[in-house]
Amino acid sequence: MKTPYDILEVAEQATDSEIKQAYLQKVKQFPPDHYHEQFQQVHQAYETIKNLKCRTQYTLFTLPDADFNRLLDAVFIFEPVVSINADQFNKLLGASVDDKTLKIATHEMMKII
Amino acid sequence: MNEIIVGIDLGTTNSEVAIIENGQVHVITDNGRKILPSFVGIDDQGNILVGETARNQYLVYPERTVKSIKRLMGQDIKVDLAGHDYAPQEISAIILKRLKAIAEQYVKQPISKAVITVPAYFSDAQRQATREAGEIAGLEVVRMINEPTAAALAYGGNQVEQKRMLVYDLGGGTFDVSVVNIEASVVEVLSSHGDNHLGGDDFDQQIIEYILDHLIESKGVDARQHSQALARITRAAENAKFVLSDQPFVKIEEEYLLEHEGAAIHLSLELSRLDYEDMIEDYINATIDSVHIALKGAKLTPVDIDEIVLVGGSTRTPCIRERLFKEFGFEPHSEVDPDLCVAMGAATQAAMISGQKVDAVLVDVTPYTYGTSALDYLNGEYYPYTYVPIIHKNSALPIRKTEAFFTNHDGQKVVDVTIYQGEDPDALNNIKIGEFWVEGLQDVEAGNVITVTLALDLNGMLQVSAQEKATGLEKSITIQNALSRFELETLDSARRRVNKLFGQIDQASDVHTESPTDVVEACKLVAKAEALFDKSSDEDKEDMIDLIEDIQTCIEENDSDRLKEAATKLADIIYYLES
Repeated sequence: MKTPYDILEVAEQATDSEIKQAYLQKVKQFPPDHYHEQFQQVHQAYETIKNLKCRTQYTLFTLPDADFNRLLDAVFIFEPVVSINADQFNKLLGASVDDKTLKIATHEMMKII
Repeated sequence: MNEIIVGIDLGTTNSEVAIIENGQVHVITDNGRKILPSFVGIDDQGNILVGETARNQYLVYPERTVKSIKRLMGQDIKVDLAGHDYAPQEISAIILKRLKAIAEQYVKQPISKAVITVPAYFSDAQRQATREAGEIAGLEVVRMINEPTAAALAYGGNQVEQKRMLVYDLGGGTFDVSVVNIEASVVEVLSSHGDNHLGGDDFDQQIIEYILDHLIESKGVDARQHSQALARITRAAENAKFVLSDQPFVKIEEEYLLEHEGAAIHLSLELSRLDYEDMIEDYINATIDSVHIALKGAKLTPVDIDEIVLVGGSTRTPCIRERLFKEFGFEPHSEVDPDLCVAMGAATQAAMISGQKVDAVLVDVTPYTYGTSALDYLNGEYYPYTYVPIIHKNSALPIRKTEAFFTNHDGQKVVDVTIYQGEDPDALNNIKIGEFWVEGLQDVEAGNVITVTLALDLNGMLQVSAQEKATGLEKSITIQNALSRFELETLDSARRRVNKLFGQIDQASDVHTESPTDVVEACKLVAKAEALFDKSSDEDKEDMIDLIEDIQTCIEENDSDRLKEAATKLADIIYYLES
């Protein structure tokens, strides 16, 4: 399954404007006149990751379901196994403050487990 | 050589035809005029009149003349023209046929394909009717594009810098507003909104009512009963509107307007711009509301807009510029003639389709939400007509979406699929645009999965299909307004009727040097055959070449019987090769 990043051929760290330029290039490559399906795919990919809010939603949506529980289990039950420090845990708890911190925090947690 | 596709702006008041020549847009003139008034009439000799002559005849014989036919497109009504009933499609076809002839005379070859513009807010039925008008006129409508989009294309197709434009298009009968992003020569419509029954005609009507009231009050005459007087008042109102674009006052004067109880009635009254602006204020407010809806649809605010483009003759009204200036803080643009930019954009799109090198890419959206109804909770109650939107407004075209539904009771054999256009959570408050049944479902428990797929093409036309997932049993329809649907047969007879009308003018004037239809048809076949050369066997190719030579000789010698015979043979080969 191709991710929106694959479809637009951009890195996951790409900025809004990089993603937009990639999208415009792809639209020129697959204009709606001649490439109905590819165009729709490109357009949807762009709509999915065009700004930070969309990208965060996409990341959360595509995270495996149990991950938050696993994270909490890891913290409360098997604490010694996973080396999660107080700072990282606080980051996770403070994640709801804004989308960016949530994204960074979940990414860090994912790396640990 | 590429086949020529013309771009046509089929407007409520005026129409134009344009082509791309050597990379430049050219609006084709007819007797020095770029604009063809959208009037159709039949004179007392039975000759058909289109454009300026019909517009002039309107004053003398309003009952032999039709104006603003676009406002009736897509409705199941007939208009009376010199004692005969015509469908709106037929009247529009007459205008299209004239535009086709103007273009053919200019390029000196037959034209059979066109891109026609429609208001963005035109419904499915109105689009269908427009396509039919093209067919009746002998034009294959290869694409219908939205008018504000065409204007954006004419303005910004070759711009590289990013620019966000608001296109405000107020024509004779329709209003559209679109928010467009232009960047790296991709012209992308972000949102569209509008009203398909709001335009300059409504402004005229306000002035007409004002004049009629004045006549009743001051002279005790109701001019509504006199069709000629009414036609003159209509023209006077329109002229007054034009004058008020430049002047603060206008004198409306018509001598010998009509006779009443043996005395001649003269019309003379003054109208100030301020009073006129009061009359049309509600309409202008409605357009500004639409502007805000479009901005919201694009998730933008007025400060995000770099440029405003005005399209349509009605945008010459000064108070519109003032209102937009108040909303946005800068002056709208109108470098490209607001009457011509739509046709120019249509020609650009036509060139893209015919494969001419045009750098721009166009991405357009639908202004409507389409969906179906289902049994579901609405406001906390079980309700059988809960609206389930499937394609949302401002989605990029083309688009295809599928939604799954379940049968409601055991052994359910039939599902009723009704398609609506609108946004109200109660489907019954939306516009029903089509309905069909899927019958012969499996005899199973409730919960049988039925998928409903909606596909909206680049022309903004909807195709619906429903499928029983387990068996693949499928039913599909192209949505056409059930009311105004022209059967193929009536399309043919409409074409003959319209052709016959033109037959009379062909004899009466010598400007028409264009070829008769069978020659045009034969030329189309030849082009088609040549396109198939690569794919066909040597034997077939030789046969086709022989027939093409035969056809060319027949055209030169004007031998229409032999031409028909050769054309039929060629058509058979093409049919065989294509199937």
